[in-house]
Amino acid sequence: MPATDYQASFLGRISIRRNQVIAMDGNHEQELQDLELFSKHVSERFAELLSSPDDVPFGALLSISWLRKLLDFFLCCEAEFKGILMMGNDPSQISKPPLDRLIPEFLDRSVKALDVCNAVTNGLESVRHYQKLAEIVVSALEQKPIGDGQSRRAKKALTSLMSAMNVDDKECSAAKATERSWSFSRRGVSSKDRVPEHFRSVSNQVAKNWSAAKQIQAMTNNLVPPRGAEGSGLASPVYTMNVIMVFVMWALVAAIPCQERNGLSAIHFPAPKQLNWAQSIIGLHEKIGEEWKKKEKKGTAGLLDEMQKMEKLGNILMDFTDSFQFHVDITGQKAEEAAAHAAELAETCRRMEEGLLPLQMQIREVFHRIVKTRTELLNALDQVGKSSPPLL
Amino acid sequence: MELPEHLNKDSNGYESAEKIILRWDSTASEDARERMIFETDRQEADLYLQAVDEIQRSLSNVSISNSSNAGKNANAVDDQSKVNTTIQIAMARLEDEFRNILITHSSALETDSLFDPSSSSISTPSHHELEEDDTLSNDDSSHHHDLLQLQLQHCESSDSSTYRSTSSIREVDLMPSEAICDLQAIAMRMISSGYLRECIQVYGSVRKSAIDSSFRKLGIEKLSIGDVQRLEWEALESKIRRWIRAAKVCVRILFASEKKLCEQIFECVGTDIDDACFMETVKGPAIQLFNFAEAISISRRSPEKLFKILDLHDALMDLLPDIEAVFDSKSSDSIRVQAAEILSRLAEAARGILSEFESAVLREPSRVPVPGGTIHPLTRYVMNYISLISDYKQTLIELIISKPSTGSRYSGDQTTPDMEFAELEGKTPLALHLIWIIVVLQFNLDGKSKHYRDASLAHLFIMNNVHYIVQKVKGSPELREMIGDDYLRKLTGKFRQAATSYQRATWVSVLYCLRDEGLHVSGSFSSGVSKSALRERFKTFNAMFEEVHRTQATWLIPDTQLREELRISISEKLIPAYRSFLGRFRSHIESGRHPENYIKYSVEDLEMAVLDFFEGYPVSQHLRKRSQ
Repeated sequence: MPATDYQASFLGRISIRRNQVIAMDGNHEQELQDLELFSKHVSERFAELLSSPDDVPFGALLSISWLRKLLDFFLCCEAEFKGILMMGNDPSQISKPPLDRLIPEFLDRSVKALDVCNAVTNGLESVRHYQKLAEIVVSALEQKPIGDGQSRRAKKALTSLMSAMNVDDKECSAAKATERSWSFSRRGVSSKDRVPEHFRSVSNQVAKNWSAAKQIQAMTNNLVPPRGAEGSGLASPVYTMNVIMVFVMWALVAAIPCQERNGLSAIHFPAPKQLNWAQSIIGLHEKIGEEWKKKEKKGTAGLLDEMQKMEKLGNILMDFTDSFQFHVDITGQKAEEAAAHAAELAETCRRMEEGLLPLQMQIREVFHRIVKTRTELLNALDQVGKSSPPLL
Repeated sequence: MELPEHLNKDSNGYESAEKIILRWDSTASEDARERMIFETDRQEADLYLQAVDEIQRSLSNVSISNSSNAGKNANAVDDQSKVNTTIQIAMARLEDEFRNILITHSSALETDSLFDPSSSSISTPSHHELEEDDTLSNDDSSHHHDLLQLQLQHCESSDSSTYRSTSSIREVDLMPSEAICDLQAIAMRMISSGYLRECIQVYGSVRKSAIDSSFRKLGIEKLSIGDVQRLEWEALESKIRRWIRAAKVCVRILFASEKKLCEQIFECVGTDIDDACFMETVKGPAIQLFNFAEAISISRRSPEKLFKILDLHDALMDLLPDIEAVFDSKSSDSIRVQAAEILSRLAEAARGILSEFESAVLREPSRVPVPGGTIHPLTRYVMNYISLISDYKQTLIELIISKPSTGSRYSGDQTTPDMEFAELEGKTPLALHLIWIIVVLQFNLDGKSKHYRDASLAHLFIMNNVHYIVQKVKGSPELREMIGDDYLRKLTGKFRQAATSYQRATWVSVLYCLRDEGLHVSGSFSSGVSKSALRERFKTFNAMFEEVHRTQATWLIPDTQLREELRISISEKLIPAYRSFLGRFRSHIESGRHPENYIKYSVEDLEMAVLDFFEGYPVSQHLRKRSQ
């Protein structure tokens, strides 16, 4: 909301009594306008995310660039939301019902979101790992003509890649070494000191019992749309922001490998269809949810578009290298096809190379923003004097 | 197998090299699977490496010959393909050897490299000794416990008696130099054959596991932000202490050593590669390490957290140059940035907590008057708190840069005191905050004093508490220096004023009984004394004194010297007045009936009675003593 608009209505308030009633209504109107704008922007942004161009298959959803857009929109919505909440309003409002209950809940969800951000950042390291393995495959198959050596090299990398993508998703136990496979099975490795306990492809920074699905589920607790009179005040944008935050976290977790995601699709989205701005979000949730259910059965690493492509191409190329190994006749056409697939894989790697780091940085920015808002809200609550802990 | 024609020159060399490579093809032979070349013996290893070199040379020869031919004939393609295959087999083998050597020499850092009882993070327990009746958590006991633990661990594991410090970067050798040479040799071949990526992958995964083990040994936990918010602050304090110790070891020893190892192994192949390996290994663990500090920096602010947060801040500040030295490449930007962000958040948190604290002192709402007018727990808490703050002066002077937000003098806001800044020119913002805290404390105490029904007690209460403040300030040189003698004088004046007010409130009316006026009856020749008035006086005095004595014996002035001084001051007014009153008028009473009803106390009685005052417990009422 432009500062000048607000000023105008404020000045209106201190004018002569005769005008007071009208001026106060004006201020209230301003608020309503802001709330409407907020809903409108939310609606527009998510509609944009939902619409994919006709010629691009569904897979464009949850690609790296789509995720970056999603996070960008989150930051925009968040900024607007904060503006509505903090500026211009009587600061003590946040300690009055219904906000006195809603704001602490929002803060609690924020903390959970922070942990999701960290888990997703950790997960992106896994994705980066896949990228590096895939790059080996690409560099092996790039050389023309493809010889036995390159094929074997590619196969080795592919085996690691495919097992990493599959195993990372299931809780990795020490038994299933996800490390790049040895060329042969090691016998005679007796003493414990020689083989470390875990051989994960990426060290896991997340606490042992932490579950992404449970975390998101917990975020949806108590998330109900405001009823009746409540809906006209600040309870409404708070609810909206909550839903957006939960959705964004949910989408990130669906896309990127995170610890323990069983039951992700079962998470019910508490957004009634009547709310205009929620339409697109609900639509996205359904779409992504369906895809998740399909993949859940196959047990793959996550819905990130680039990863899906990598998996698909990986399987194809694995077949190719297998046939190479077993000296099945490789005709020129097959070799060309393989080269084409390898080029596609290279393209996917390139997109990852370009996009993963910026994505990580964006998630970090989201993290910072959530922290900042949380700190400001906590300060505001403390000013009002009710939430500070007793001194003695 | 056929020999490629154009390799005739080196045909023998190539042939034997190829033989060696194929012999060790683990996909082809059982024997090859069972043994590791680099564990077998030096000669085998050298032979193998030479073989690889030979094949690599052939590869470049083949390429040269190929490009010099007009077009590739089938043979040339075949040859190249064969050589490539051989290379691939060699590389796969080398990869496994590389991995094996790494695993053999990758374990958690030795304990004696890790611990350092003399490190600075635990050298300041003396600063944090708190009074017994303090409400702040007692750092002392847990410090000692930790010290003890460390010493035990050190004794158990270390052969040497030298204490090593983690106050600066100290790289240790993570592997024997022989192993490093081997790894170097292998890495060179892999990289020159274009197998750099595989090399990095293997290296990273094995070393990461080693670091994970070291982390476990150091007690670095994986806590979520939610976990940290939920834990009790006391539990977090010990985790913070542990983290500080661990972080120093991680940055200065663990990570620095890993970096050195990368540099050694990839010495011949350029800094980009050793950077890449280093980051591959260390990025995740570094993030994990800092996540804890980050979680602490965003936790809810409350006063008791100040000092541990300052400890954390100081430790991180101390570590920052080393973090920058170890993570100096472009790809480690995010780690440096995160550390700086955490530092800045911790500083913000410290500022916020101080503000919080000031508000809390102002708003502290307890209304129940402290029995006996003694020192209020709030006073103790606040003075101890600011004493501790003065211990952390060095850090806080840097961090606290704005003046306290005091009430405006003209706001008419009755709920906040105001503070003149003119006389406080030249004081650091920190000093101003400390003074402000004392101002606010007094303001609160003044409010609390009004809950006493007895005005004398209210004055005593203020006297006690302000005196305590003065004593605490005098007792700490840093605090005194910051508060300044000017303000100290003001405070002293205040408690003296309170003492005077107390005396006035209690004793004016008591001493009023002993005045001369009103007793003489004028008129007749023998200027007489109204006996009835005199008796009244004595009775009133006795009753008043008894009441005051009974009540004020239960009042308390904890400071011995102050108690003495006040009693002496009372005596100085009371005793001479009574003595002279007795002297002048006792004969009149004694000449009447039942003098003992009126002259109940001798001067000595009163002197004794005064000694009961402000002891804090009731006296029995047996004061009556007949005087002859």
